[in-house]
Amino acid sequence: METKNRLVAVLEIGSTGIRLLVAEILENGKWQETDRAGKPVALGRDVFTSGKVSLGSFLECFAVLQKFKELLGGWGIEDKDVHVIATSALRVAQNRDLFVDRVRQETGFRITIVDGIEENRLMYLAVRFALKQDLPQFWQAHTMIIDIGGGSTEIMLLREGKMVGAHSLNLGTILIDQQSRLSLGSAQSQERYLREIIRNTAGLLSAEMELTHVKTFVMAGSDIRLAAALIGTEMNEHCRIIERDRLIGFVKKIQSYSIEACVQELRISFSEAEGFVPGLLVYKQFLEQTNATRVVVPDVSIREGLLIDLVFGVDPELQEEFFSQIIASAATLGRKYHFDEAHNRLVADLCIEIFDALTLEHGMNRRERMLLEVAALLHDIGVFIGGANHQQHGQYIVANSEIFGLHRDELDIISNVIGYHRGKPPAAEDIHYIALQREDRILVLKMASILRVADALDRGHSQRIRHIDVERKSETIVLHTRGSWDISLELIGLEEKADMFQGVYGYKIMLT
Amino acid sequence: MEKAVYFNRDLSWIDFNERVLEEGLRQDLPPLERFRYLSIVASNFDEFFMVRVAAIKQRIKSGNTGLPPDPSGISPKRQFKKGADKIRSIFRRQYTCLEEEVFPALAAGGLELVRPDSYSISHIDYLESLFMREIYPVLTPLKLEDDNPFPSIKNLCLHVIFLLISETEEEAERISIIQIPPVLNRIIWLPGETGNSKARYALLEDVVMAWGGYLYQGFRVKERMLFKINRDADVSVDERRDEDFIEAMEEVLEHRGKSMVVRMVFSPGSERLRDMLAQRLELVQEDLYEIAGPLNPKGLLDLVETQGFEHLREPVWKIYSSEAFSEDQSPWERISQGDVMLHLPYQSFDPVVRFFQAAALDPQVISIKTTLYRTSGNSPIIKSLEQAALNGKHVTAVVELKARFDEERNISWANRLEKAGVIVIYGLARLKVHAKVSVVIRREDNRIKRYVHLSTGNYNDKTAKLYEDISIFTVREDIAFDAGLLFNMITGYSVIQSMRKLMIAPINLKDRLLELIERETRRSTQEYPGKIVAKMNALADIDIINALYRASAAGVRILLNVRGICMLIPGVPELSEHIQVLSIIDHYLEHSRIFYFANGGAEELYLSSADWMPRNLERRVELMFPVLQEDLKEQLIAVLEAYFQDNCQTRLLSRDGVWTRQKPPPGEKPFRVQSYLLSQARETAEHPWVAREEFIVRRRPPANI
Repeated sequence: METKNRLVAVLEIGSTGIRLLVAEILENGKWQETDRAGKPVALGRDVFTSGKVSLGSFLECFAVLQKFKELLGGWGIEDKDVHVIATSALRVAQNRDLFVDRVRQETGFRITIVDGIEENRLMYLAVRFALKQDLPQFWQAHTMIIDIGGGSTEIMLLREGKMVGAHSLNLGTILIDQQSRLSLGSAQSQERYLREIIRNTAGLLSAEMELTHVKTFVMAGSDIRLAAALIGTEMNEHCRIIERDRLIGFVKKIQSYSIEACVQELRISFSEAEGFVPGLLVYKQFLEQTNATRVVVPDVSIREGLLIDLVFGVDPELQEEFFSQIIASAATLGRKYHFDEAHNRLVADLCIEIFDALTLEHGMNRRERMLLEVAALLHDIGVFIGGANHQQHGQYIVANSEIFGLHRDELDIISNVIGYHRGKPPAAEDIHYIALQREDRILVLKMASILRVADALDRGHSQRIRHIDVERKSETIVLHTRGSWDISLELIGLEEKADMFQGVYGYKIMLT
Repeated sequence: MEKAVYFNRDLSWIDFNERVLEEGLRQDLPPLERFRYLSIVASNFDEFFMVRVAAIKQRIKSGNTGLPPDPSGISPKRQFKKGADKIRSIFRRQYTCLEEEVFPALAAGGLELVRPDSYSISHIDYLESLFMREIYPVLTPLKLEDDNPFPSIKNLCLHVIFLLISETEEEAERISIIQIPPVLNRIIWLPGETGNSKARYALLEDVVMAWGGYLYQGFRVKERMLFKINRDADVSVDERRDEDFIEAMEEVLEHRGKSMVVRMVFSPGSERLRDMLAQRLELVQEDLYEIAGPLNPKGLLDLVETQGFEHLREPVWKIYSSEAFSEDQSPWERISQGDVMLHLPYQSFDPVVRFFQAAALDPQVISIKTTLYRTSGNSPIIKSLEQAALNGKHVTAVVELKARFDEERNISWANRLEKAGVIVIYGLARLKVHAKVSVVIRREDNRIKRYVHLSTGNYNDKTAKLYEDISIFTVREDIAFDAGLLFNMITGYSVIQSMRKLMIAPINLKDRLLELIERETRRSTQEYPGKIVAKMNALADIDIINALYRASAAGVRILLNVRGICMLIPGVPELSEHIQVLSIIDHYLEHSRIFYFANGGAEELYLSSADWMPRNLERRVELMFPVLQEDLKEQLIAVLEAYFQDNCQTRLLSRDGVWTRQKPPPGEKPFRVQSYLLSQARETAEHPWVAREEFIVRRRPPANI
């Protein structure tokens, strides 16, 4: 029988356990959660001490995954609809590839390792879904989103709903617990240790946004969710609210609890109690860096984020909103390095005009358009270090930064495009270029050649050419400026930089 | 508030059996009905000795150290003594009634038990040859010798012990024991005499007593005695041995044959043999129960079913089919239209069986999950599960092997299910899964749909004809989601997760109950007193009782219908003056748990598999589920109200622990709730109410393009 409904499963191999979510994707673009399960596995404890997943933990994971396989059998879910992701613990495990392969062989599950910034993106999708329209401040004021896990902490900063910073810190409850225990021991010293880390982090974050201006604090993660169940009040079906003083008071109360005391006093399970106190300490300290009067705790995780991604992956509206967040995040990076925002923004706009006029010629898609925009927006970022060879400085900065919503692979493309926006074309000894996949190398050439043309059009950094009209002739592409002024400087620039375009697309460029 | 006080749990349980006894003593009941009640009393006490008395004895033995004192303040020794006195008095009345009233009445009605002292010559001829032909070959004598270990005597089984004297040597004595083979029918029908409509029968054990001597060549029977023993049954499996649980379970069953003996019941006849057995089994005077009539009367319950003696029993209570389900509509269709409630055994269990059968055969069904606690081996549900698995469906059965006296039966069908490909989960370590819930996942046009069945009683087609239970079918998403989570937890897929609509013991059921009682207490005012109405089998949880006391003190009106144990003391000024406790013993065994909370007008109703006992609330997986559909709530409230209008089978508990049978007040009509429910079921079955607002037109679904 032909069926339109679709069940998907999301499995997340985290640093404290493996969790499963089954949802039914409905025709109207909605989804409904139909099942969930979770089993604790102390992967993080292994990986963060020895660097590896131990045999014991592997067998444990394997047993859990087998059980989940059985559970999924009860839903009749097809393999292609099972999405298995792994986060921080496995991400940094030395034997992760082996682990992934073994799991594949034994259970048939294909694990995708999610990097930190992707975790950020999924978390953002989930939070946005959970908040719905119920929190207008989210879009109007300064917001901080934080998700503390066993192995890493994801932080996002939004100004009036626009992403200005996204970071994945190697700060997780397991690590904190281990380090503070190893070195010092007492509850006070643990707090001091944390305060130092968090003050440093907050200092870095304040370059992007003044934390004291944060009005809305969204806290995700299992520890705070547990706290919200205990001391929070309901905001909507997915979110609870904890008042600032309530949370701070609560953390003070439980700060000295042992794991056993947490289990006894709070009536939670042992696996929940592990990491509960250090987790909440981190939340509390971040909260104290802001002036937020209350905290919103959504009951969602990156599993829901992935689900939304699966469901709305092709929803143009959401995609545009999401791309605009990426651009906003890129702009924040630019500002951090004092870029010439007017010039970079104009070059990005011109790139887009050329891109849109030549879709038949370059054949690139919407996502690649966004990558080009990011590259253009940051092409001069290396000037911060020095004018000479600033393309190389820019390449280095971007390759070593985080931009919300962009994968590692995508950052590699962007940084290469920046590296070739002036100077010599790619050569055999350029290792960053050679390291790219073949398709990606072509992408870099296509994008860099457009960027070079656009950059030439604002040679004087004076923003005189604000728009162009593109005309295609048999062997030439003519760029018409609007209005009449001296464009001799731009013509010289084009002379220098249009060669790559001609090489890639086979057209000469003319400016009139 | 006054200092909280409670009735003793075990003494309250004994009182319950006294109430059952009293039904048996009623001269206005037909004799077979009386026989049924009296035999239930006997088998109830077997379980009581094997579990509770064994525990008390262990407690006395261990010097009562480290254990909390009994909430009623009574010491184990005193409790033992008081209980034993009560039990002896019950036995006396039970057997006097059997011997002097019930057996004579049955005989007068044509169903006559013939004991050895009244065997006629033709009886003797017949029985002797029957013995040689069919009984003798299956008997195994066990020789008893002073210096050898005592042979293992099986729990609950009837045995005959013989004192034998050698025919050749002077003074040579021997003692031997024969188990009455459980495979043989205990009732031996005697050949009819022409021109006599009477049916006469003898007892297997009498025949073995009479001719068992044939087994001992060269010896003469000097003395003989019939006996049975009760052993401590509370032996549990070593829970750490997860990997081979079945094996461990089998070992326990074996071990049970050797655990402590707590009681011996025997027929008069030989003081020597009695004393010898008592000494060898380490029993004292209080553990010995001499009984003049047939032991184990429950083994004679076949009598109740005997054809042709309708005048000796109550007319059969008809079981009506539920009007909600019709032959021409699939269960899926009907349940999708709205929640459906079944009230067993007024309504038939068939829809539940059909639910499984339909699921097994329906190609759209993907999976079936169910909990099987006590069920019969040849149950149609087990067959359906087997078939479903063979049809490629994903079938999960959570099987509770620790249902105390059923393990042997359970293991064999559990193996059969596994062979068919069913995922069989053998319960949880340290917790019995007592919740009764099933989920069917079905793929429909463009959705996945879950059909859930939640019940207060087991998936057992046999007891479904005798136990009063209520169940609900639903497709509510939030309940289905929770049911799914429950299965994830009890099948080992998941840690404990929070739920939306269902309450689960030992996670949050008790907390939720306490909250509901507290809420009622909080909301209660002089003008609008709160109200709690609850029906259950037992009330023995001290926290719950204290909460009820507090509610009563705050003016909440509390009506309790408790079939068995009740530790709450009602009607004590300033403690429990607003609490009334009733108990109903009648034709069907009251078994459903219904809880009602007035909640300031927004009434809430719950059904549950759990009694309000620590065992259920803290040491078992139990379920409490809300009744959410308005018409079902109304129906259920009406049912609950009817339970408190009964003035025929109801007894009222007084603050001094006396249960008084209620009578219709002068000028008022008698009202018997079970008869009322039966007539209601008849009425709805004869005048089915049709929920449909339009006809269901059958057409081929449009082709998907």
